Amino acid sequence: MIAVEELSKVYGNRAALDHVSFEVPVREIFGFVGPNGAGKTTTLRILAALLAPTGGKAFIDGSDVTRDREKVHSRIGYMPDFFGVYDQLTVGEYLDFYAACYRQPKQRRRKIVDDLLALVGMTERKNQQVDSLSRGLKQRVCLARALVHDPAVLLLDEPASGLDPRARVELRENLRELQGMGKTIVISSHILPELTELCTMIGIIDHGRMRATGPVHEVIARLTSGRRLHIRVLDEKEAALEILTPLPSIRHVEAVNGMIEAEYDGDERTASDILLALTQAGIRVSSFAPVDGGLEDAFLKATSEEVG
Amino acid sequence: MNAATRALWNPIVAKEYRTRMRTWRSPLAITVYIVLLGGIGWAVFAALTFSSSVINQGSGSLGQMLFTFLILFQVALLAFITPALTAGAISGERERQTLDLLFVTPIAPFSIIWGKLLASMSFVVLLLLISVPIFSLVFLFGGIEADQVVSAFIVTGVTAMTLGFVGVAFSTMLRRTLAATVASYGAAFVLLVGTLLYGLLFPTLADASSTTQPAPPAITLISPVIPLWTIATNLPVTGYGVRYTNVNPKGGPAILSSSGGQQYCAPSPQGGVMCSSQTAGSSFYLFSFNTATAIPSGLFQGWQYWQASVVMQLMISLAALLFSALMLPPVRRFRLRRRAVPPSRAE
Repeated sequence: MIAVEELSKVYGNRAALDHVSFEVPVREIFGFVGPNGAGKTTTLRILAALLAPTGGKAFIDGSDVTRDREKVHSRIGYMPDFFGVYDQLTVGEYLDFYAACYRQPKQRRRKIVDDLLALVGMTERKNQQVDSLSRGLKQRVCLARALVHDPAVLLLDEPASGLDPRARVELRENLRELQGMGKTIVISSHILPELTELCTMIGIIDHGRMRATGPVHEVIARLTSGRRLHIRVLDEKEAALEILTPLPSIRHVEAVNGMIEAEYDGDERTASDILLALTQAGIRVSSFAPVDGGLEDAFLKATSEEVG
Repeated sequence: MNAATRALWNPIVAKEYRTRMRTWRSPLAITVYIVLLGGIGWAVFAALTFSSSVINQGSGSLGQMLFTFLILFQVALLAFITPALTAGAISGERERQTLDLLFVTPIAPFSIIWGKLLASMSFVVLLLLISVPIFSLVFLFGGIEADQVVSAFIVTGVTAMTLGFVGVAFSTMLRRTLAATVASYGAAFVLLVGTLLYGLLFPTLADASSTTQPAPPAITLISPVIPLWTIATNLPVTGYGVRYTNVNPKGGPAILSSSGGQQYCAPSPQGGVMCSSQTAGSSFYLFSFNTATAIPSGLFQGWQYWQASVVMQLMISLAALLFSALMLPPVRRFRLRRRAVPPSRAE
């Protein structure tokens, strides 16, 4: 659905994007991660045909973003990293305005607005002024705005930034629903745990270069050397450390804040072997949990050193 | 909806109407406008009726003077209002960060500009319409014909339109509304007052070789002041924008021609140039003074002053519109600077 080939963007002497390539198949949610100034917004603006690349190509559903701008615009719903709301307009009027901009006939616009408000759970706010809404609600209106022409692709730039945890959860639910409706979604974000839960694919970008891209778990596995366990034992912490340290699958083990943190190589079977070794030695284990903080590690690793 | 209708009437116009009329600024602007225009009308009327000389000349003269003051004051008011209406049109969208959202819709950049202009100009037309009752008072005194009112309103409307188009051009070019507003007011000053100053600093030179009655430089007619004056007074322009080069060394009227004895010439108050011959001891008109309000010479010879003004202002408007339409698109077909070359990938 989305193909980016060797995309470059140069501002003066500074390369904002340096030969970035990635692909997003249909119905995938692609998480675009990177520190500030890494090139996420530049990439999304090029994909939205709002910025001309200095080099390379990008295609949305087969249409070149530099040549078939109108076709690209009809296929994408773009949500920038700001709200972009007008004063003096109600939520209903605001969405109706954009639906009219997308040349939706007047008779259909009322239904489109009502359906979208129902989708983002804001039907009762239809007559409220857009400007008076909270950040979370504005974000929902903006998501609805990006959907007025029923696009196949959604480009969302930092949609979760500045939202409280509840609003984030609601946004995540909305995006899942949209994925279920067949949309392909590109979402840039700083909030890594959110992306791990939500995204099916991920791209890590830093200093204008794509450091890693692919399915989330593949990228994490590629970048992080081992899996991690958090183990709580009742009394015998020292004994547990003595048992764990010599195990061949254990790479590193240490006691942190009253619990044992172990890094190991292997799969779930290896994890159960580790648990078995502890219990057979008579250690009373009260908690044994694999830690899924892999994306953060992967991100830090990818953005701190060159990855081949 | 066909392409032409879509270009002329697009969602932006409807949205602008809606949002503009919901703010407190619009009713306030209308009220201030009417109060000021009515106030100046009343003040001029009171002052003129107090002056016995005007009363002696009849009520027609009073009507004409009232109209002159009103129409010039109206154009000055619009010169203050119009840049404020349009200078934020595009830069405001940029600052509100809504411009990108419009660019990703199928609305063409030209339609965005057109929508903004149409909405702003509709407000100006509204102001002109609500001023009609004040102007109709002039008819109580007479001295002004309906065609004069119509041409004066056309000139005023076109002036406001030109200032509006120039405001949008600055709004497109400059990123900040404040900068665009300052530039638009600067441009309004140049168009309305600067061009008149040009006429004073660089007037048309009339000398012995002149065969036609001199007229102010064409550029001075961009300002609506002279055209509105000629419409209201029905008199040709005298004593402005023309310099007689052969100055009489003894003082008094300038010498236009030295052939056939000493001739001292000067613009006549009735129009034309009046010369007196020392040898004959009599006065005569060198050029026909019956030029009425037509331009006697130059680029627009034979045109009415207001027609020349309207044509020049429309040309400025067109240039501003084209400039805006070329500058607005986020990805332009032409570039002012050379494109940067992507560096080859570092291995």
